[in-house]
Amino acid sequence: MSKETKNYVCPYCGESHDTQDGLKSHVFKSHKGRGLPTAEGRIKLMINKAEHSFLVEPSWTLYYLIHDILGLTGSKQFCDRGACSSCTMIVDGKPVLSCMMLAIECDGKTVETVEGIAADGHPLIEAYVNNHAMQCGYCTPGFVVASKALLDRNQDPTEEEIVEALAGNLCRCSTYPQHPIAVREAAEKMKAGGVK
Amino acid sequence: MSKNSEIQTEQMLEMFDNLKADKYPLKEYKYIGQKGPRRVDGLAKASGHADYTMDIQLPGMLHMRLLMSPYPNAKILKMDTSKAEKLPGVRYVLRYDDPEVQQGEIIGKTAGFFGLDRPLSDSAHMEGELVGAAVAAETESIAEEALSLIEIDWEERPFNLDPVAASDPAAPLSFPERYIDGNHWNRGAYDELTHGDIKKGFAEADKVVEFSFKRTANTWVGPERPCGVCKWNGDNVEIWLKHQRVHLPKSRISEWYGGIPMSKIEIHSLYQGASFGGWCQIDWNLGPLWCAGAVSKRVGRPVKYIFDRREDFFGGSMDEGTYFVKVGFKNDGTITAVDTTLYHVNAIWPVFSPALHIHDNTRVQHLHGHSKSVWVNKGHTVPTRCEMLPPVLTQTMIFDHVATELGMDPTVVALKNDGCMGHDMEWAREEKEKRGFPARDSLKECIEKGKAEFKWDESWHKPGARKLPNGRMHGVGFTWAHEWDDSSGGGEFAIRIERTDAAATLMAMGADQGVDAENTYCRIAADELGFLLKDVNYNPQVYRGFYRMTPDSSTNMSVNGWAVRHAARILKQKILESAASPSSPTQRGSFQPAFPNMQPEDLDIKDSLIFVKSDPSRQMSMADFVRLAGESGPFATDEFLGTRVGWSEPLFAVGYHIQYGAYNPVNPRPRFCRQAHFMEVEVDTETGEVIVTRVVNVNDVGKVINRMSCEGQQYGGSIMGVSRAKFEEVVHDPVTGVMLNGNLLDYKIATMKDLGPIGTILVETGMGYGPYGLIGIGEDIGTVVPGLLAPAVYNAIGVWIDEMPITPARVLKALGKI
Amino acid sequence: MKEFKHFNAYSVDEAVALMGRYGERAAVIAGGTDILGKMKDSILPAYPEALINIKTIDGLSEIKESGGMLKMGALALLADIADNAVIKSKYAALAQAAGRTASPHLRNMGTIGGNICQDIRCWYYRNQNNRFSCLRKKGGRCYAIKGDNRYHSIFGGSVSGGCFAVHPSDTAPALVALDAKIVTSSRTIDAEKFFEVKPVKTTVLKADEIVTGIQVPEPPAGSSSAFLKFALRKSIDFPIVNCAVMLTRKDGKVTAARICLNAVHVIPYRAIKAEQVIIGRVLDEAAAEEAGAAAVAEAKPLEHNKYMVAVARTLVKRAILACAEK
Repeated sequence: MSKETKNYVCPYCGESHDTQDGLKSHVFKSHKGRGLPTAEGRIKLMINKAEHSFLVEPSWTLYYLIHDILGLTGSKQFCDRGACSSCTMIVDGKPVLSCMMLAIECDGKTVETVEGIAADGHPLIEAYVNNHAMQCGYCTPGFVVASKALLDRNQDPTEEEIVEALAGNLCRCSTYPQHPIAVREAAEKMKAGGVK
Repeated sequence: MSKNSEIQTEQMLEMFDNLKADKYPLKEYKYIGQKGPRRVDGLAKASGHADYTMDIQLPGMLHMRLLMSPYPNAKILKMDTSKAEKLPGVRYVLRYDDPEVQQGEIIGKTAGFFGLDRPLSDSAHMEGELVGAAVAAETESIAEEALSLIEIDWEERPFNLDPVAASDPAAPLSFPERYIDGNHWNRGAYDELTHGDIKKGFAEADKVVEFSFKRTANTWVGPERPCGVCKWNGDNVEIWLKHQRVHLPKSRISEWYGGIPMSKIEIHSLYQGASFGGWCQIDWNLGPLWCAGAVSKRVGRPVKYIFDRREDFFGGSMDEGTYFVKVGFKNDGTITAVDTTLYHVNAIWPVFSPALHIHDNTRVQHLHGHSKSVWVNKGHTVPTRCEMLPPVLTQTMIFDHVATELGMDPTVVALKNDGCMGHDMEWAREEKEKRGFPARDSLKECIEKGKAEFKWDESWHKPGARKLPNGRMHGVGFTWAHEWDDSSGGGEFAIRIERTDAAATLMAMGADQGVDAENTYCRIAADELGFLLKDVNYNPQVYRGFYRMTPDSSTNMSVNGWAVRHAARILKQKILESAASPSSPTQRGSFQPAFPNMQPEDLDIKDSLIFVKSDPSRQMSMADFVRLAGESGPFATDEFLGTRVGWSEPLFAVGYHIQYGAYNPVNPRPRFCRQAHFMEVEVDTETGEVIVTRVVNVNDVGKVINRMSCEGQQYGGSIMGVSRAKFEEVVHDPVTGVMLNGNLLDYKIATMKDLGPIGTILVETGMGYGPYGLIGIGEDIGTVVPGLLAPAVYNAIGVWIDEMPITPARVLKALGKI
Repeated sequence: MKEFKHFNAYSVDEAVALMGRYGERAAVIAGGTDILGKMKDSILPAYPEALINIKTIDGLSEIKESGGMLKMGALALLADIADNAVIKSKYAALAQAAGRTASPHLRNMGTIGGNICQDIRCWYYRNQNNRFSCLRKKGGRCYAIKGDNRYHSIFGGSVSGGCFAVHPSDTAPALVALDAKIVTSSRTIDAEKFFEVKPVKTTVLKADEIVTGIQVPEPPAGSSSAFLKFALRKSIDFPIVNCAVMLTRKDGKVTAARICLNAVHVIPYRAIKAEQVIIGRVLDEAAAEEAGAAAVAEAKPLEHNKYMVAVARTLVKRAILACAEK
C-alpha cells in the first residue's frame, strides 16, 4: 500500500501542512484570535439602510458589486482609475471612490449611494435640479454623493469649502459654477427646515 | 383654403424662405425666455435614475471587447485565436478573416463620411485601433483576458505623427490601403477658399505679418465611453447605442447582415454621457456594433460592447494641426489680405478653409485659405464642439496679431473689420432690412456689454506692461466670431394630445445632449399651443419614431424649433377646428361641437383652456374636450343611459423643417449675430504657470428660449475652452507611436479649482434665422474660448506662445528661461 | 481585473508570513489606490497571484504625539493627517503635503504608509498591458530616454542604463524634511534612507517586511516647515515638482535646514547644497534665491524637462520664504 501524503491547508492563508497537528500549531501561531473562517468572498454590508449578503470574487470592486451585480446603476464609471469621482459612494460615513475599493474588503461596512440619498428626499436633489447643476448628467450622482457627505460633516459650508470638497469630481460639460450654488441652497433649506 | 392648409403653406414658406427673418413670431411669450422652469431631465439625473447605455444589462448578455493594435501602422499576417477561444467563459471569437466580415460591408456608406472598409480590419493605422478580433465572453474581464491570449504575427510599418512631416513626398505612407499616392489629399469643395485678389490685397497693406502656430492633439473625453448593446428578437433587431445622431446608425444598420427593413430596427437612445460632436460617427464606434450584432445573431444572446477609457482617447479634435498665416493690414487696423494654410490631421468631417470665418464675419475682400488634409497614424479628428475650430482659432490669432502689431485695442480692430462675406456693415445693414431683420449692430452691442462687465478699459494695457503685487504678469485678451447655426439638414417633430388629461406629448427620436433641449421644445410647444408647460412633455428616451435633427445644443434648435412650431401651429388649428365643428364618426350621425355656433377663428387656447375670444367665460379645459380614454376607448357615449356626451377626434400633428443656406455657396445666409469673449490671466514668470482669473462671455443668441441652458453653454464652454488651452494634449511616443496618456490622470481636464469666475451675458437682437429670431450657442463658446488664452498670455508677457496648449514649459521657453 | 487570491491579515506577523510565502507573487494592499490601478492596466509582466490586505490589522491607524514624537500608524489616512490640529501647527509641511495629495475622496482611502511605498510614475512604465517592458520590469531598456520625458527625472537616471521615472509622493519629501523615521515590521530607518532603487523596487523593504508606522521628532524650538506642490491642475494631479522645507532659526539666522524635492528623481531628492547655502544666513529673498539655484546646480535635464529645473528652483525659494513667514 503506497503512503498517501495528506495536505492540511490553512483556511486563513492557504499554507499547507503535512499533519493536522502541524496545521493546528500554525493556526495558533499565525492566526490567533481569529473566528471561524467564513466562506471566502462572503460579505455582509448595509446598502442604503438595507442589509445585504453577497458572495463576491476578490477582483470585484465595490462599484462592480453595486452597479453590475446589485443593479443600482446610479453610480457611474467615468475613468475607472480613481481620477474622476463619478463612482463616489459614502462608506462608513466617508466619501470614497468605489471603483478603487475591493468589495471583498467591505464586509461589515455601511454604504450610501445616490439612490438612497434621493429616496430619503435630501434637499440636495431639488437644489441640483433647480440650479442646472447637471447637463449630460453622467457625473451628477458622484457630485450629489460628495455634496451630501460634505453636508453631513459641515452643515454650513462656505463656497471655498464646497469647492475643496468637490475638487476631485470631474465634469466635462463643466457645470462647476452651479454646484456651490446648489449646495448652499440645500444647506439653507436644511437650516431653515431643521431637516437632517 | 382651410386654415390648416394656410398654416401648412406658411410653414412651407418659412422653410424655403429661411434666408429671411421670422415673419410670423408669436405676439407674446409665456415660457419662452423665462429663467425657470425646471429641467425635464433633472430629477432623473440627480437621483441616479437616468439610464445610460453603459448601465444596460440584459438577461443572458455577453460582453464584447475588441483587439487593440499595439503598433501605429501594421498589418496582421497571421493570427492564432485558439487559446482565447478555449478560455473558460469565452463564448465567441469573431475574426477579421471571417467570411461575413470579409464581405466588405461598408460601415460608413451613408452621409458621405469616410467609412471603414470592413467591420474588422486586418490592418491598423494608429496604435490602439480596434482590429483583428472581437471577443464575446460572460464578463468583461474574461473578454479582456482572452484578448491577451491572442497571438499575432504583425508586419510593422513606418509611421507618421506630424502632418507637416507627413506631407513630404518622401514620408512613408500612413495608410497604404487607402491613400496610395501620398498622405495628403484634397477633400472637397470647402477646404480651399479664395476671394478677391490677395496679391492686390497685400499690395494695399501698410504692414504684412507672417506667423505660424501649432495646436497639438486634444480629444473629446466623454464621461460615458462609446458602447452599445445588440439583441435579436427573431428578425427584429433591438439596439441600445451611445450615439449623438440616432437615426444615422439606424440607417447604416439597415444595410447590414443582408439588409434589415427600417421598421424592424428599434434603437434605444438613452441618456448620453456627453455628446460633444462627431465622436459617435467615427467608424470605430460602429464597427464594434456590427461585430456585436453578428455575434449576437450567431450565439443567440444579446451582446454589449464597451470601449475602455483608453480606447476612447484615440481620436482627436479638429483644431489639431500646424497653421501658417500671412496677413496684410493698414495702420488704422483695416485688414486688407489674409492668406492661411493649415496642415490638418485625419479629418473625417469636411475641413473648412481656415479663412472661412474671416470671410463670414468681416469686410476683408482678399483672402485665400487652404486646409491641407494629411493622414497620420493617429485616430480620426472630429468637431469636438464644432468643425469651425480651425477657422475660429485662425481668426483669433490673426486679429490679435494685427492688434498687437499696431498697439491697438483688439476690440477696436474687431469693429473696424466687422462685416459680412467681404462686405462692410453698411451692406450688412441693408441686407438685414431686406430680409426683415432689425438692423442692429450685434458686435458693437456685444463688445459694449462685455467691456462694461469685464471692466475692459481699466484692464487693458500694452503687452508685458503690468506686473502685479504678487509678482505675476497681468494680461487680458479678447476675441470674437459670429454666432452660428451652421447645420444643413432637416428635422421632424410630432405632437399628440393624450386622452384623459390632454397632456401634449412631443415625439421625435433624438439623443439627449444634456442641454435641456427637451424643455426648450416643450416651451415652444406650450407657447404656440397655449398650454400650461406642465401639460407638455417630451421624453426622447422612449422610442416613438420621427427624426429630429441632432445634435441639439445650438445649430439644430433652429431646425427642430421650427419643426416643433410648425407641428404646434397645425395642431392648434386642428384643435380649434375640432372644437367648433360637429364630428361625425359613425352612421348614427354626428356629435354637437364643443363650442356650437362658433368658427375656429373665434376661439383661442390659453393655459390649457379653450375659450371664446369675445367672451372668455365660455371656456372648456382641454382635458374635458379630449375626453377620457375608458375601457371602450375614447369615451363617446353612454348608450345605456341614453346620454351623448360628445367626442373629439384624435388630435395629432407632424411638423418638419429643412434648413438650407448655411454652407450653401450659391446663396448663403449672411451671419448677423456675433459673440465676444474676454479673458484675464496672471502669468507666473518663474514657473511658467498661467492662471485664468476671469472670463466673460457675451453671446447674441437672437432670442433666448431657455436662459439657464444658454448660460450653461457659456460657462460650460468657457471652462472646457480654458481646459483645452491650458492642459489638454494627447501625447504620442515619438519612437513607437504609442499613445502615452490615454487616461484621466495624464490627460488633464479642468477641475473645479482650476479657474476663476465666468461672467455670462446674453444679447437678443432677433437677427437669427431660427424661429423668433433665435440662433445657436452650444457649439460656439467651447470652440472660440480655447484660442483666447494665447492673446491673453501675449498681453501679459509680450511674447507669443506658438504652440498650444499653453503649458508652463512653453511659457518658460517663450520667456527665454529655458 | 483578472482573478487573484485575497487574504485579510489580522496581525503584522500574519501579513509578514503571507508575504514571505508568496514573495514577488503577491502584493500588499492598503488603500488600494495605487495597486488596483496597476492591476487594472496590467502594467507588469506578471499579475499578482494574491493580495494581502493589511487594513484588517488593528492599531495601525492611530495618530498621536508622545515622547517628544509624532507617531502615525502606517494605515493613518491622508485626510486625517491633513486635518489633524497638532500636525497642522507643529508639522505643517506634512499636513500640507497630505492635504494636497490627490483628491478629497482618495485622501479618505490612501494611507501614509501606502503613500511613501507607492510605485514610480512614468507613462512608459505604466502603459497598459506591459506595452513597454522596461528596465524596471527587468526588461531591456528605458523608453523615456529617447521618448517624451517631460515629467521625468532632472537628476539623472537611477539604474544602470536609465530609468528616469520619478517618485510621485507628496508626503515623502515632507517626511524627509521633518527628519522622520520609518518603522517597519523588523527595523526603524531614517526616511531619507528608506528610498532606494533597484530594478523592481523603490524602497529598502524586504520581500516580507511592511511599514507599520512613521515617527516624526518634534521639531526643535524656532523651527517652521512648509510644503509646496507644482502641478498643472489644482487637484487630483500628481506633482510635477514638489518641495518640503524645515528650517530652524535662532536670532534671525538659520541654524538648521532640511530641504527635500520630489517628483524630480526616482527617489526624494535632498537638496544638500541648498541647505548649505542657507545655513547661517538671514532668511531673505536673496538667500532663498541662492538656495534655489544651488538646489538645481547638479540638474541634468533631459530633452523635454528643462522647465522642471526652473520650477524646482522656484519652489525651493518659495518654500524657504514660506517658512520665513511663520
